[in-house]
Amino acid sequence: MSIELANYPQPGAWDELLDANLRPRPAARLLLEYLDRLGCAELQARRASVDAAIMAMGITFTVYSDAGNIDRAWPFDIVPRTMSSKEWARIDAGLKQRLTALNLFIDDLYNAQKIVRDGVFPLEVLAGSKNFREQCRHMTPRFGVWAHVCGTDLVRDRDGTVYVLEDNLRVPSGVSYMLENRQLMKRLFPELFKASDILPVDDYPTRLFETLAALSPRDGERPVVAVLTPGIYNSAYFEHSYLAQKMGADLVEGSDLVVREDDCVYMKTISGPRRVDVIYRRIDDDFLDPEAFRPDSALGVPGLMRAWRAGKVGIANAPGAGVADDKVVYTFVPQIIRYYLDQDAILPNVPSFMCMVDAQREHVLAKLDELVVKPANESGGYGMLIGPRASREERARFADLIRANPRNYMAQPTLSISTAPTLVGDKLAPRHLDLRPFVLQSDKLHATTGGLTRVALRAGSLIVNSSQGGGSKDTWIVNAEEGNA
Amino acid sequence: MLSRVAENLYWMGRYLERAENTARFINSATQVLLDLPKDASFGWDVLLKVAGLDERFAARSPGVDEDGIMPFLIEDETNPSSILASIRQARENARTVREVLPMELWERINGLYLYARDNAARARQGRGPRGEVLSGIIGRRESIIGLLTGSMSRDVAYQCIKLGRNLERADMTTRIIDVNSAVRLPRDPALTTVATERMWMCTLNALSAYQMYRRHANVHVRADAVVDYLLKNPHFPRTVLHCLAEIEGCLSVLPEHATAMKKVRRAWRRVEAMQSNDIRPTVLHEYLDQVQSDLGEVHDAVAKQYFHLHQQHDTEQ
Repeated sequence: MSIELANYPQPGAWDELLDANLRPRPAARLLLEYLDRLGCAELQARRASVDAAIMAMGITFTVYSDAGNIDRAWPFDIVPRTMSSKEWARIDAGLKQRLTALNLFIDDLYNAQKIVRDGVFPLEVLAGSKNFREQCRHMTPRFGVWAHVCGTDLVRDRDGTVYVLEDNLRVPSGVSYMLENRQLMKRLFPELFKASDILPVDDYPTRLFETLAALSPRDGERPVVAVLTPGIYNSAYFEHSYLAQKMGADLVEGSDLVVREDDCVYMKTISGPRRVDVIYRRIDDDFLDPEAFRPDSALGVPGLMRAWRAGKVGIANAPGAGVADDKVVYTFVPQIIRYYLDQDAILPNVPSFMCMVDAQREHVLAKLDELVVKPANESGGYGMLIGPRASREERARFADLIRANPRNYMAQPTLSISTAPTLVGDKLAPRHLDLRPFVLQSDKLHATTGGLTRVALRAGSLIVNSSQGGGSKDTWIVNAEEGNA
Repeated sequence: MLSRVAENLYWMGRYLERAENTARFINSATQVLLDLPKDASFGWDVLLKVAGLDERFAARSPGVDEDGIMPFLIEDETNPSSILASIRQARENARTVREVLPMELWERINGLYLYARDNAARARQGRGPRGEVLSGIIGRRESIIGLLTGSMSRDVAYQCIKLGRNLERADMTTRIIDVNSAVRLPRDPALTTVATERMWMCTLNALSAYQMYRRHANVHVRADAVVDYLLKNPHFPRTVLHCLAEIEGCLSVLPEHATAMKKVRRAWRRVEAMQSNDIRPTVLHEYLDQVQSDLGEVHDAVAKQYFHLHQQHDTEQ
């Protein structure tokens, strides 16, 4: 290769683009040949132009601080991550299977609770769930679907197996970066898109709009869909605005909405109130409606739960859907799929230990230096213990936390998550990454082709969150000639 | 259209126009300065008063001269009407309403902001670099108008932007006319005639109106004729009357516009009633003040009718 590889081969980690002998995998062959022809200088020139494009397109996330508003450019690596369409087809089926089962599960929990009565899902797990909302009991939203938008985090272990790491069912974000990354790549490498068969991703806003429109309580008309944002100070505001724009929906804040005596939701417009049929909310349950949840919330809309319960407005994701977005509930997903669908899970969970089960807890406590311990309800990597990297004191502190509240913890072996070549200086070096596809469900099911690849830009780091040195790559699902990935 | 969105669009239109017109305002003053006869003097304090910024400036800096005032007008972020602050505001407004704007518009506004931010300091290096930077800003801003004109449906969102733009433009045109009141001319009548002609030529140039004036109004640049043209010509897009007609057009598309429309008519009558045979600086200045306060009332009526539904977000300047 005229482009130099640095730190390859890396022992013990699967690489998405290169096999163990550093030969391109079939889905990556055209790409790597192309990069090789391009050469290093040209690659760096293109990277400089992508940085300029990112600034010009204003794809930033904003960090608000006392020192003023700082726009940080979205960190982006120009080497895409590839996967064969054949492998993707299996993942696509697995994602849809998983969300279907999770929605049946949530609907059951808020109604008959058959899965508890049949002894498949323990009552104590339900009782300990922070995200179970009493206010949602005995509700069945349209199609029995609660989680309409799901971001499922996938990782690949050293033997090539793809695991589900977690299901984000509250307000998953990142899809706008998936779409923008593709736009950037098309600007940057138009020749490549001509030469290879890369499956498109840009229909997502249309599919999202259809998914939401199907929730409208009024049939026959073009429904009024609004994206509810906490406002410009939210770190995902760019995405809220982006999706509203792409869907032709209204972007609203809580103060733009009002629920009147007829239990309908209205927007305040220059010609007076206008009824809203469906709300794609990007704020947490807690802040949704100060009458039903946190009374001090200034972000929400008083009476929104009343309107939803009366069937006068569709809300996505439905309030309470987060009950299945819980690391301990996660460990039950294979059983949940078997119980409702009578099928084996297509996509495996990462093997997990539940601290609430005595034998498993003892195992966890004995192996704290090898395991990753996660609290049930946190997201974004907060409150975790990464055993192999923690100090003795931290491990001791976590052992106490687990003993005090076993329901709140689960543990997993430390995975060696896969890598892909990433442009570092003038070389391609391996960096760890994950994949977040987005899955939609209302009357139909849809999954993005690929998803958002998040990459840890620091050497050796496993943390892909953008707030902690993570970036992203475009994700190419490729129709390659040869079959296996 | 959400009230909050309407208000943001309106202010985006206003702030962009303010940035461009402040650049034109500075160019006008600079041109006047260059052509001033030897024993005439320029009242920087009067210039600030014309811009409506005298009190704010006095609170900040004692030195009322070109070197003190220019950074204040161009890049001082504590002056909410400075070019950079206006563009930043417009960008923030645009950011909150991106979903109703053409995609590329955001990129252009962002580009304008980045240009202003990265080049504002260069404007301190003298009149030459300053003129270049200001031209760069005016050009980028014009490309934004071009994009709006060429790629945005004439929907309510468009009308809100246009409404803000024309209100601000009418107001700034009156202020740019008023720049000349900052000049104290020598007593020599022969010199005065030449100097006056030059001054008004600068005013026309600052508003890109010189050529059109020559073609459509008067071959000679005479004070009364220029003032008359810039206030009352119905065809040139920066005259007060033209702006009022545009405002009327916008309002007619918006619901419940009776009160605001009445205020527009009032401003209109005042402009039409202007007698250009008496344009002594003090008389003219007072008259322009009145037009500005008429325009302020149009703004109040618009804000009350369309934006009041969400008072907690009121971002009045």
